[in-house]
Amino acid sequence: MLKSWKLKEAVLMSLFAVVFGIVYLLFVHVSNIWAAVIGPLAYEWMFGIWFIVSIICMYIIRKPGAAFLSETMAATIEVLIGNAVGPRLILSGVIQGLGAEAVFALTRYQHFNILVLMLAGIGSAVFSFVYGYFVSGYAALDPSFVALMFTIRVLSGAIIAGIGGKYIGDALLATGSLRGYAIARAKKGDVNA
Amino acid sequence: MHDMNPSVKFIVITASMLVIAFFFNPWTPLIFWLGIILLQLTMSRTKWKLWLLFMLPFSIGAFGYLWTTIVFGAETGGAIIWSFAGIDVTEEQWARALSLAFRVMAFSTLSLLFAFTTDPVRFIMSLMQQLKLPPKLAYGVMVGYQFLPVMKDEFTQIQQAQRLRGAETKKYSWQQLLSMRRILIPMLAGAVRKAERSAFAMEARGFTGEPRSAFYHPIQIDRTDWLMSGIFLILLLTSCIGGSWLG
Repeated sequence: MLKSWKLKEAVLMSLFAVVFGIVYLLFVHVSNIWAAVIGPLAYEWMFGIWFIVSIICMYIIRKPGAAFLSETMAATIEVLIGNAVGPRLILSGVIQGLGAEAVFALTRYQHFNILVLMLAGIGSAVFSFVYGYFVSGYAALDPSFVALMFTIRVLSGAIIAGIGGKYIGDALLATGSLRGYAIARAKKGDVNA
Repeated sequence: MHDMNPSVKFIVITASMLVIAFFFNPWTPLIFWLGIILLQLTMSRTKWKLWLLFMLPFSIGAFGYLWTTIVFGAETGGAIIWSFAGIDVTEEQWARALSLAFRVMAFSTLSLLFAFTTDPVRFIMSLMQQLKLPPKLAYGVMVGYQFLPVMKDEFTQIQQAQRLRGAETKKYSWQQLLSMRRILIPMLAGAVRKAERSAFAMEARGFTGEPRSAFYHPIQIDRTDWLMSGIFLILLLTSCIGGSWLG
């Protein structure tokens, strides 16, 4: 998978994982406080934040694995910094990353418009929900409540991760620091922008 | 605990979490939770004050789970134990709610056990040596990890620079959260440049990203790992069987 990657792309992904690992951790704490008040529903509408790094990395690097690896690494960094959710977090990172990666793989890594990015956010949401269904025991909750949780999470994945991810990617492109990455090349030659 | 191979520890902990997730009685997670605390008490050098501080948000979270499960839990049969504010709590609901709450406690304790007894650099090295993580990624993560303090400095720098130019600081915390993006973009742009520079530096020093067979700091799997895995397995079995028997 990594054969076609340049070293600078791998390092870029790692640094993004570090930045977003910190951001993620911040939001874990914020939502933990929330969750104490209104229960597991609190996490749902913020869930998109935790999918964003895979969307941004894929949007910039545009190579197979960018979504999956970046999300996994961000989760690993979170664990390394000393997050209390611990190694289980890496597993959920893997699953969220796979969700986004699946969508990009379906488009054969050819299209990176807003629709695909939003779908990728939804992919992460669906995958993480199925995983959460088992691990956090949603099966014990009322089905209509579970359906509500699912809907909010999918929306959050599409809006925060999909649209937000594209926004950050475009803003970064505007700073000019992304010359030499696939995103800048695609804009110039507009092959598949 | 501290001497255990990080990869082995990681696999054992993740596997036991997955197994526990299949049990819905309150006893299994409870027994498991107590067992883990016992393990940590006897076999690790934990700073317990810090541990309590970390556990606090999780205890609150577990409580949140407890009451939402009672209120929003699926309708189930069983005798009504007590009712409160028009909500009848049945025996089954109570057991489920307790089970979920204990599960949160057990999982967070287990995670803290890992976080408190594992050295991050050793963990990455072990991932590369035992689980065959590609070196490109492993050293990438290490570079990122080393940049952590730099990122922190940069964060304050950008913040101060913006304040100097008269960007007003927001009063409410939710507004501050929204203005995060003003800091995030310059930080990411800086990260891109740093990534490029360090990648060049690594290549210039002959790093190709090819897998290798010899390491400067070899990390091995030895007897301690087998012993600890065995203890974990026994604990897991005890809680599963004991939990089903009691429940």
